[in-house]
Amino acid sequence: MTQEAKPLSTPTGSSPIDVEADAIPAIGMGVAQPDEAAALRREEAGADYEVALESLNQWQLAWRKFRHHRLALMGLGILGALIAVAIVGPILWPFDFNSIPKPDQIVYQGRPPSLAHPFGETGGLQRDVLNLVINGARTSLFIGFSSMMLGVLIGTIVGSIAGFLGGVLDNVLMRTVDVFLSIPLLFLILVASRVFGNGNVLLIVVIFAFFSWMGISRLVRSLFLSIREREFVEAARAVGVRDRRIIFRHILPNAISPIVVSASLIVAANIIAEAFVSFLGFGVNPIYPTWGNILSNALTFIPLGNWWWPFFPGLMIILTVLAVNFVGDGLRDALDPRTRA
Amino acid sequence: MGKYIVRRVIQAIPVLFGITIVVYAILLAAPGGPTARFANNPRVTEADREKFKKAWGLDQPVPVQYCRWMGICNPNNEGLAVFISDQGVPNFLPTAIGGGTNGILHGDFGISISTGQSVSSMIARAALPTAILAGTALVIWLILATLIGSFSAIKRYSFFDQASTVFAYVGYAMPTFWLGIMLIFIFSGPGLNILPAGGMTETRLSPPFGTEAYWAYFAANPFQAIADIGRHLLLPVITLVVVNIAGDSRFIRASMLESLSQDYVRTAKAKGLRNRVVWFKHAFRNAMLPFVTNVGLEIPFLFAGAIVTETIFSWPGMGRLTIDATRDYDYPLLMGVLLITAILVVFANLLADIAYAVVDPRIKY
Repeated sequence: MTQEAKPLSTPTGSSPIDVEADAIPAIGMGVAQPDEAAALRREEAGADYEVALESLNQWQLAWRKFRHHRLALMGLGILGALIAVAIVGPILWPFDFNSIPKPDQIVYQGRPPSLAHPFGETGGLQRDVLNLVINGARTSLFIGFSSMMLGVLIGTIVGSIAGFLGGVLDNVLMRTVDVFLSIPLLFLILVASRVFGNGNVLLIVVIFAFFSWMGISRLVRSLFLSIREREFVEAARAVGVRDRRIIFRHILPNAISPIVVSASLIVAANIIAEAFVSFLGFGVNPIYPTWGNILSNALTFIPLGNWWWPFFPGLMIILTVLAVNFVGDGLRDALDPRTRA
Repeated sequence: MGKYIVRRVIQAIPVLFGITIVVYAILLAAPGGPTARFANNPRVTEADREKFKKAWGLDQPVPVQYCRWMGICNPNNEGLAVFISDQGVPNFLPTAIGGGTNGILHGDFGISISTGQSVSSMIARAALPTAILAGTALVIWLILATLIGSFSAIKRYSFFDQASTVFAYVGYAMPTFWLGIMLIFIFSGPGLNILPAGGMTETRLSPPFGTEAYWAYFAANPFQAIADIGRHLLLPVITLVVVNIAGDSRFIRASMLESLSQDYVRTAKAKGLRNRVVWFKHAFRNAMLPFVTNVGLEIPFLFAGAIVTETIFSWPGMGRLTIDATRDYDYPLLMGVLLITAILVVFANLLADIAYAVVDPRIKY
């Protein structure tokens, strides 16, 4: 009895060690309790204990586990700060593409970091690197997250169709996925961005989404194949629930955790891929700075000793990807029902 | 085994076919196209552009262009006769029995629009530099990843293990091009300036790589030539290795840890075998099994990484060719590069499967 009651009676915010300390008095093991006698009576009668039961849904349980993952929490903090900067920064300090310094202010190789310009100034047009990085955060993070969402949406739809309906459609869809996965996707993204992108942020998002659904669709399909055969789906079908309701109410909620975990990896991959494509000059138009296209001219200025121009945007990419990966690790542990907090 | 290989190769054909369709479908809707680079040139009139398109067959509908590129259609014929070769035989059949001579089915990659050279000769010239770069990187990458991974598994939670974990996380998050730029700053910047920032050979010393003059120079003083390439190779190889090693050393660590906890390892230790023998004869060989497949799947990333690495270091390889072809909308060149890469990827995956059977005698096909 004690064993069963323990996890349920845990007040939120305590570690596994606290669980026991809190759980024991609640069950009335002899610690001074006002209704100790009543509890004992009930125990003799074999009745249920009066335990402060607190029902936690799947996400509350996950958050409880996530909280104990130190790196994941740190990642979440960094990511939150970056997103805040990406939203607020460009409003307070917008990037002005048309501002051109007066000739007498130009130092061709740029100026190294100083108090006035903590990240230094670029070569050539003397842009403030901190300003570029802040404005780049908005575009880069926007592309990373929104292309992930669109890609996950496409992947989930394709995977659900393939997994739920099966048959010829399944075969066609999965062979298409095979084809996409046997070309280095960066090649295709590069070509597609050049051909359709036009430097437009929204088009780039669509292109990235179009090339990031394959993994998800495979995952969703396999989840559907296994969940489809479970008893509760069979039961739902037996009582005459329609297909659409089975998909959205019975199968998808059970498939959501693995999807969330791989979605976090897609964000990281797409942020790097965007930087790669924009660095090569086929991505976002330099009017909208991204962490990739800031760097595209930096190579020319490296021999002049201008390290700060490429260094800081790259550092932000590393920081973001690290943070996203840590959060992904934390999510994987938190959403895996086999691990317990 | 032979049967299995044949079956895999046959299975790869529809995949490769699908790849060409996907890429052509992307190019299909391309606004502008190869004439886009004349758009801002006032000397090129609309009539010139039309002439250019006609000369390259770009005025045809995309299915016809695709069909010509594949070698099913004959560019010399019109109407329904388009499928018939000049010898009056269906065009897609081998040349030896009267089929056509153009198109990929006859091993003809076509002519590059931007340079006017044959695509196959351009690819052949770029292949060797890429093979040198990617091959060197691959060997070093595999050796280092194996060493780091298994050592951090053996000495689990040691300082080395912790350091390699941090290195793996950071390396995994690091964009290739950023590392390349930073390495150029450190080693070829104004400070140290001990390594060349780009290129494959020292322009003052030797003719451009791949030309006949170069091979004459190479024959005359081979050691100097190899040392020169080696110096230029150093930074791009480091760039590729660091980025690729990160994930793999983790992979090997995990699989080594798993095999170290197996019963046969305990048995071997209980028999009194020395640690080194247990680690390398018992645990290591079994830990390498899943890694072999993993390497096959990672080869495409090596190529993708090579695109940007070659661009940063001005390495005259396939990556540069891809970038140039993409920039100039050079369809034949782009299709050629992509097809070659896709074939390599399919081949690498096949090789990984075969290697898996070789290292694991339990696998039978």
